[in-house]
Parts: sequence; C-alpha cells; structure tokens
Amino acid sequence: MLEVKNLNVFYGKLQILWDLSINVGDESVGLFGPNGAGKTTLINTILGLVKPVSGEIVLDGESLVKMETDKIIKHGIAIVPQDRELFPFMTVEENLRTGNAYIARARKKYQERLDFVFEIFPVLKERLNQAAGSMSGGQQRMVAIGRALMSDPKVLILDEPSGGLQPSLVTEVFHRLKDLKKSVSVLVTEQNVRQALKAIDRGYILENGKIAMADTADNLAGNDHIRKSYLGI
Amino acid sequence: MINSIVNKFRQRNFVLGFVAVLVIFVLLGIYKPYVLIEGIQRSSLYALIALPMALLLGVVGIINLAHGDFMMLGAYFAYFMNVQLGMDPLVAVVPALIVFFIFGMISYYITFKHVIGAPELNQLLLGFGLSLVLGQAVNIIATNQPRKLSLDYVSSSMKIGDFQFGTYEFIYVAAAILVLVGLQLFLKKTRTGQAALAVGQNPRGAKVVGININWIYLIVFAISVAIIGAIGPIFGTRNTIFPEVGLAYTLKSFALIAVAGIGSLTGVLWVSLILGLSECLVLSSLEYAKWSDIIFFALIIGVIMYRSHQRQVK
Ligand SMILES: Nc1ncnc2c1ncn2[C@@H]1O[C@H](COP(=O)(O)OP(=O)(O)O)[C@@H](O)[C@H]1O
Ligand SMILES: [Mg+2]
Repeated sequence: MLEVKNLNVFYGKLQILWDLSINVGDESVGLFGPNGAGKTTLINTILGLVKPVSGEIVLDGESLVKMETDKIIKHGIAIVPQDRELFPFMTVEENLRTGNAYIARARKKYQERLDFVFEIFPVLKERLNQAAGSMSGGQQRMVAIGRALMSDPKVLILDEPSGGLQPSLVTEVFHRLKDLKKSVSVLVTEQNVRQALKAIDRGYILENGKIAMADTADNLAGNDHIRKSYLGI
Repeated sequence: MINSIVNKFRQRNFVLGFVAVLVIFVLLGIYKPYVLIEGIQRSSLYALIALPMALLLGVVGIINLAHGDFMMLGAYFAYFMNVQLGMDPLVAVVPALIVFFIFGMISYYITFKHVIGAPELNQLLLGFGLSLVLGQAVNIIATNQPRKLSLDYVSSSMKIGDFQFGTYEFIYVAAAILVLVGLQLFLKKTRTGQAALAVGQNPRGAKVVGININWIYLIVFAISVAIIGAIGPIFGTRNTIFPEVGLAYTLKSFALIAVAGIGSLTGVLWVSLILGLSECLVLSSLEYAKWSDIIFFALIIGVIMYRSHQRQVK
C-alpha cells in the first residue's frame, strides 16, 4: 500500500534520513526510536512538507514525491501531527469538517464519517460547539485524530499520539487505535513503546536516521536490545 | 446566525457597547439630527472601504498597502466607461467586479505571491511599491487632473420638517451591509471561506487537511481586490478623483481595522460608526470643524494606549 524506498533527506547540509525504506500494508505499523532519530522528518517527507534528495514514496502504485502536500492528502493519507495543528478559533465541529470538506471521496460520506468519529470519541459529540483552542491537550488530540479520520484515509499516520496526555488517556488512545486497525492502515510513531506494542502488528526501530531493526510486535517485545533501550526492563 | 447573535448578548462588553451606541444615536437624533444621518452615511463609506481589507488582513494575514489604489482604479474605470460608453457608474459596478477579480489574480501572481510567509516588512514595502506604481500608471495614462462625474441622482435629498439631508448617500449604508453579510456568508457557509479561515488560523494545519493554501491566498486576494475595485465606481459617483485619492483611505482602513481588532468584520462596522459620528459632530460645530481630522487619530491613539495599558495590567 504505502512504500518508502531508499529515502535520503537533508536539512541544509545535515543528512537526517539515510537510505531509508519502510512499507505499510493492510496493518498497523509502529515506528520507534529516541528523540531526534528522524521519525517526524520521515513523516513530513511522506506528506511532502520536506522534499527528499533522493528516494521514492509510492501509495497504491502512484508516486508521491513530486506532489504538493494537499494532493498527497487527497490521495488518501491522513495525519495526526505531533503538534496537532488544529484551527484554534474554529469549533470542534468546524475542525472536524475541515478534515472532510477538501477530500472529494470523503465528502459524500460526511455523516457516516462523523458517526464513526463519535463512536470512537463520544465526548466530542458533547463539545461540538466549543472552540478547539479552549480544550485540554488530550481533547485536542482527540479532535486531531477525529479530523484525520473524517477524510476516510487509506493510510492514517499518527505522530506521537500520546504525547502530552495523562497515562489513563494514553491507554485509551491505544485502545482506540486497536479498533481503528480494522478499517484503515496505520503508521504510528511513539515514545511510549510498551503501550504501542500492544496496538500494532509490526514495528521499525529508527536510530540516527537509519532502520536499526524491523520485526513483528511480539518479536520486538521479546528482543533484548528493545527491552533494555526502550522498555526499561 | 441567530444563535451567535444571542451568544453575543451574553457577553457583558457587547451589551454595554450596544447600549452605549443606542444612547448616542437617540441623543444625537434629538440634538442634531443631520449629524446622525450624515454620520451614519460617512461611517458606512469608511466601513465599506475597510471591509475588503479586513478580509485580507484579518482572515489570511496579508497587509495590502495598495488597497485604496485599487479603489482609485475602480473609480477611473467607471469614469471612463461613463465618458466613453455612457455607462452609468452604478452599472459599472458589475463589470468592475469581474475585471478587478482578474486584475487581482494577476497582481497577486506578480507581487504578493512572492512575500507569503516572508517577514511582514516585505509585505509592507511591496504594497507601498505597488501603490506607487498604480498611482503613477494612472498619472501617465490619465494625467493628474482631478476629475468628477456630474450625475443628477447623487444630489437627491429629502426634507423632514425644516431639516434637509441627502438621500443618495444611503447607498453607502446599503453597500456596506451587503458586503458585510456577503463576506460573513462566504466565510461561514462556503468551503472556500472555511478554507480561508483555516489558512489564516494555521497554514500548516490547512495543508495537512488537503487545502491548497496558495490557491486560497490567491482567491482571497482576488476577492478583496474585486470588492474594493467595485467600490471605486460608487465612490466615484460622489467624489472628485485623482491618482492619489486612494492613499488616505488605505490609511483610514488600516487604522480602523487595527482599532476594531484584526479578524473582526463586524467590529469594523462598529468602529466606523463611532468614528463617522464623532467626525460629523465635530464638523457640525463652526468653531471646531477644522479639528475633525484629528478625531480620527486621537481615537486610534486612545484605543491603542488603552489596549497596551490593559495588557500591562494583565
Ligand atoms: N526544521 C528543521 N531544521 C533543521 N533540523 C531539523 C529540523 N527539524 C528537525 N531537525 C533535526 O532533525 C533531526 C530529526 O528530528 P525529528 O525528525 O523531529 O526526530 P523525531 O521525530 O524522531 O524526534 C533532529 O536532529 C532535529 O534536530
Ligand atoms: Mg517527532
């Protein structure tokens, strides 16, 4: 479905991603690694916000590398950014609508998508008229996930969805992620590896801009290096 | 719509302001009725001219210092359509909308497209330069000789008792309300309008929901220029025009928006009203009439000082 091949990305003269390849099929895939490893950079490159020096990004047989961000999103990728990137003065309802309104395929299913989002985050239904900027960090995270789901994506990318959330909410987010797996491919980065491993099928370990390891969730959970460096066992 | 109005009335400041305006209206109406009428007409012209700038500045954050010059161009457009083709300036509003929409797109491509996301100073300098170019272009083509259309209908007036006032100027009131309602509907009800709000609030967020933000900047700029260009003919029916006639209106619009609070379209209407009424009140006194221009800047300085004082208190 989504294939990233031999990606090389620089910020100025500094190389951030080195010949990096990953793929995401009909499954949930985790992307783990320490702060500064290049996870967000990889995601921004997939989204066309950062242009690679070389490499390929292909979604369902179509190359994305030369496309503008809005076109890439229209092709079926949705993002829950690390910083949420909501529209603070718009209501929750208006924010959710922006996730839907600019994707022709999703627009026809507005109500269906909205019901789906309410099913996952019932609390949003009671907050429809609240300005997104006035909500707590955790609620804003839900709006950001809801907004991404409104676009009926083929691939949903979440960049540190638990960042800044209380532990109880983190569990909830991963619980929701597990539900999502059935309807959409998921690529998720996470610092909280222990929680994330419960919600994904496969994972990549990214260190210094290179893939250090790739395996199933179960194997990763049992791996010594992972246990020491990421699970603190 | 009604909901949001009801919500506004729940805010104490809004109610206070509303009552204050109402009281001023009634007092003025009894004391000096012509000040009330002329004040409303003058305010509407200010608001009308400021609204397209408020759209551009308040919604997508572009400062266009050539704003008034596009109005000047619109007025010349109507002037020559009238002199050459005999077209009534009020009819010329319709072709002006189309011509200036396209002209706005072209201007955007040549100029502002290149300073989106650049420091604000670049926008200011660019707008200032564009203003000079437009003014000088008209100067070369049409000379700087002042021009005025003579139209019978603009001097229509009405008499109530022994108090007489011009009725034609109510066209400013109608036009201002039309533009305000039109812009509100555009922003609230259309997909492009919502995209414009989204781009204004978070350009990066707008990109990642699939909005083509370059297209939105282009469209909003073109809409702003189309409206101000189409206001030109209305302005030209009543006023003498010359290449620099727009400059003062750029400044006044900018100041109005700064006082109203960037981002508030209805705020522009209220501030215009206060300003227009105070100006007319001062003008109506023989002794102090020449002070009327000072009102404007005194008010602006006052509001800015009040705001910065409030910020310090917080
Ligand atoms: N806009 C930028 N300009 C220059 N360097 C950047 C920029 N964004 C991130 N970096 C650098 O790129 C590296 C990878 O960052 P990032 O992709 O955010 O890592 P992660 O998301 O894994 O924490 C870091 O060394 C970071 O300092
Ligand atoms: Mg990151």
